[in-house]
Amino acid sequence: MNSYTMKNYSKLLLIIIFFNVSAAFANDEKYIAAMQKNIDALYKAQDPAAIQNVVNALDRIAAAEKTKWEPQYYIGYGYVMMAFRESDKVKKDSYLDLSLAAINKGKELLPNDSEFAALEGFVHMIRVTVDPPTRGPQFGRLSMEMFEKSLALNPENPRALALKAQMQYGTAKFFGQSTTEACTTLNASLTKFETFKSENVLAPTWGKIMADGMKEDCK
Amino acid sequence: MKALSTFLFVLIGFQVLAQTKITGQVRDQKGDVVPLANVILQDTYDGTSADVEGKFEFTTTETGKQILVVKFMGYKDFVKEIDVMGKTIYVDAELEEAINELSAVTISAGAFMASDEKRRTVFRAIDIATTAGATADIAGALNTLPGTQKVGESGRLFVRGGDGNETRTFIDGMVVLDAYSPAGPNTPSRGRFLPFMFKGTSFSTGGYSAEFGQALSSALALDSKDNAELTRTDIGILSVGGDIAHTQAWKGGSAAGKIQYTNIRPYFNLVEQDVDWKKMPSSLETSAAFRQHLGKSGMIKFYGNFNQTDYALYNHPIDNPQARNLYDLTNKYRYMNGFFKNVLNENWSVRGGVSYTYQQNNALAAADNIIETQKGLHAKTVLEGALSEKIELKSGVEMITRTYDQDFFLAEGADYTRGFEETVTAVFTEADVYTSNSFVTRAGARLEYNALSKDIAVDPRLSLAYKTGDNSQVSLAYGKFRQSPNDLWLRLNKELNAEKADHYILNFQHIADDRTFRAEAYYKKYNDLVKFAGDDASDLNNNGNGFAKGFELFWRDNKTVKNVDYWFSYSFLDTERNYLQFPKASVPNFASRHNFSVVYKHFIKDLKSQAGLTYSYASGRAYNNPNQVKFNDGKTPHYSDLSFNWSYLPRPYVIIHFSCTNLLGRDNIFGYEYASTPDAEGVYNGRSIRLSAPRFLFLGIFITLSKEKSINQLPSL
Repeated sequence: MNSYTMKNYSKLLLIIIFFNVSAAFANDEKYIAAMQKNIDALYKAQDPAAIQNVVNALDRIAAAEKTKWEPQYYIGYGYVMMAFRESDKVKKDSYLDLSLAAINKGKELLPNDSEFAALEGFVHMIRVTVDPPTRGPQFGRLSMEMFEKSLALNPENPRALALKAQMQYGTAKFFGQSTTEACTTLNASLTKFETFKSENVLAPTWGKIMADGMKEDCK
Repeated sequence: MKALSTFLFVLIGFQVLAQTKITGQVRDQKGDVVPLANVILQDTYDGTSADVEGKFEFTTTETGKQILVVKFMGYKDFVKEIDVMGKTIYVDAELEEAINELSAVTISAGAFMASDEKRRTVFRAIDIATTAGATADIAGALNTLPGTQKVGESGRLFVRGGDGNETRTFIDGMVVLDAYSPAGPNTPSRGRFLPFMFKGTSFSTGGYSAEFGQALSSALALDSKDNAELTRTDIGILSVGGDIAHTQAWKGGSAAGKIQYTNIRPYFNLVEQDVDWKKMPSSLETSAAFRQHLGKSGMIKFYGNFNQTDYALYNHPIDNPQARNLYDLTNKYRYMNGFFKNVLNENWSVRGGVSYTYQQNNALAAADNIIETQKGLHAKTVLEGALSEKIELKSGVEMITRTYDQDFFLAEGADYTRGFEETVTAVFTEADVYTSNSFVTRAGARLEYNALSKDIAVDPRLSLAYKTGDNSQVSLAYGKFRQSPNDLWLRLNKELNAEKADHYILNFQHIADDRTFRAEAYYKKYNDLVKFAGDDASDLNNNGNGFAKGFELFWRDNKTVKNVDYWFSYSFLDTERNYLQFPKASVPNFASRHNFSVVYKHFIKDLKSQAGLTYSYASGRAYNNPNQVKFNDGKTPHYSDLSFNWSYLPRPYVIIHFSCTNLLGRDNIFGYEYASTPDAEGVYNGRSIRLSAPRFLFLGIFITLSKEKSINQLPSL
């Protein structure tokens, strides 16, 4: 092999490598761009049809990106939001079932994650609202367990703290007890929302509005 | 160079051409639009959501054979291979509905399900604890539902013209021979099993599954809890005694023990009773439960209940009220139930168990000692699963062996024993066939062999349910049922055959927005009832018969008024029997034509309380007055009762519960009893049957100790 062909060869190799890398890079870029667009749309979506549209789009991404946990996480979040807005109890439960199914798929891709645990606790919390006297004892406890688990995995998770504050507040109100404990949790949550940082640009950021909304109750 | 640019142009042009438009319409099998379905070109990012009219349109740069998937909640995925090559593709996606336990029709004829797991239930497990007048007794709460009869002096479940013996109780599918505690004369008995043990209650007033045999009128199936999540200690301080329970929980299992002592003396001393007590009732009860999950979905459960109750009193004969005849009773009771469940594969599971009941009544009547001993053993295995998405199958085999002995140790005359041993072997099979989410057929049969009567028989069961709208359905049920005669008669004549009943039920149910409406009509035909051949029980045969027909209405509303939950039940019953000593077909003495109940529950947040009121009414019951020529011509005044309860939660782990029956103090008369022989003037003397006290007051304080502060016994009360 002479130097000329050698040079050409290495050039070709470089080109091949470059193209492969950029193709892979482009793929990931495409994924992140698609996800960012949908996550943004999900946070903004108000009516169930709009949420369903985003969930559908996420579901399509999930079908193509079988190793990514983010689509499952946001599908789970989307269905919790739909359940939250639904008044029919049977449908509410169906949405929560779909949410839990997505969370379970996501947990297989990313085990022992604080965000998934918090979201799962959220599902149980909404489950209580279907029939509080009957569901309260079982699902109330399950949701608290998940918030504790979430915080054990990451004590900095502001969403787990905000949801836990909600549960504590609701329980304290129900029994006519002091809401000090709930408000302490809420304040911790508000602080963590300021400091929470993730390497992942697709990491969840929701929950601050909910926590801000609770401030009034703790004045 | 030109050639190259032409080539490039073609390449780019080809790329442009390769933009394929895919459009279509999503509908269900009925042709109705399905909005917002997800349309996916498999393994690509391409796809879209259908709009609210089910229309969709998107473009893709993919080429060649591709898989188009259309999916939406409640339907099976629609999958179609399409050839993508530039031309616009139109797809009519017809989605097939998936059989979904949440939305699918359920068989509602005769059935009242109370479960925390099933979502469309008419009655919830917690209702048992919070219904005024029921004092946390399962039968007491179910007595506010349509199809039941108020028989205030008994406390048992009398269903649709059937007597209390015709309702059978099952725990985890296993029979309980006698589910009620002994009670003093004219005092309603309470169920032996506390509602907190159960996660689900299925109360059927007819047409029930082929799994349940040896029940003529009604099956009460109780499912015990699978899990105790928390280690906790419960303490109850009651006006009639106290209890302490401890539960130790670990991952996948738990063990629990409870000891309860009941002594009604302090209460009876305070509230005067119309009974001449020698020793007021007291009982000591221990129970234990063990539960363990095995593998991913296997489970074993064990439950045991041991009780001893005694009391002694003096009876006063009608003709000689001054005389005092001693009656001293000691009741010993043991019930043990073992249950297992295992999942064989994705579609099939097996469950089964063994139950053992032992009961002894040791009675001293004057100088005679009568010991009645009952033992029962029940073993059962059931295989259940899905043949396909639309066909569910349940098949099982069971054996119930029981012995009954009554030993007489007499002051005068020779001692003697009478009794029987009976073994019933049965196989049953039942299939639920879903034609769609709107139509289900349940067909089954039960083959039973009774080794005592040497009788072999097949009883068919059939139910249909059809969804008439999103929230409403009609349901039909038919079945043949049989039950061995009451021990009272079987101990006298072992040759007696089973008593039989045919049920026909038509049901309509509408459940929406926390409001439930149910209407049900039925016809029940009794055959082979036990009949006296002569004037007394010395000669018995199976020549009796009878019928019961009627309709029932139920309305429950948990929505209209905030923090208020109420229901209303009305039952109309037309029944006659020609059985036992009846000279002709006549209304049995426990039956009343009209029954209604109103249950009202109010949650008062500011007082951290739940208050409840229950009003019950039953029209007068027939009784026979031997002084009258016409048989069964007497009629009691109507029964009515207004009960009240109050649950107060001062702390999350403390509950104070107060309840009082018959607030208005009405003197209810349930019937009359007469002397067996006329007096000197030829008159049969009689007296009324009434409760030993007009009211029952109950006060209890329940404390739960656990690491988690917000746990209390409310769900278990």
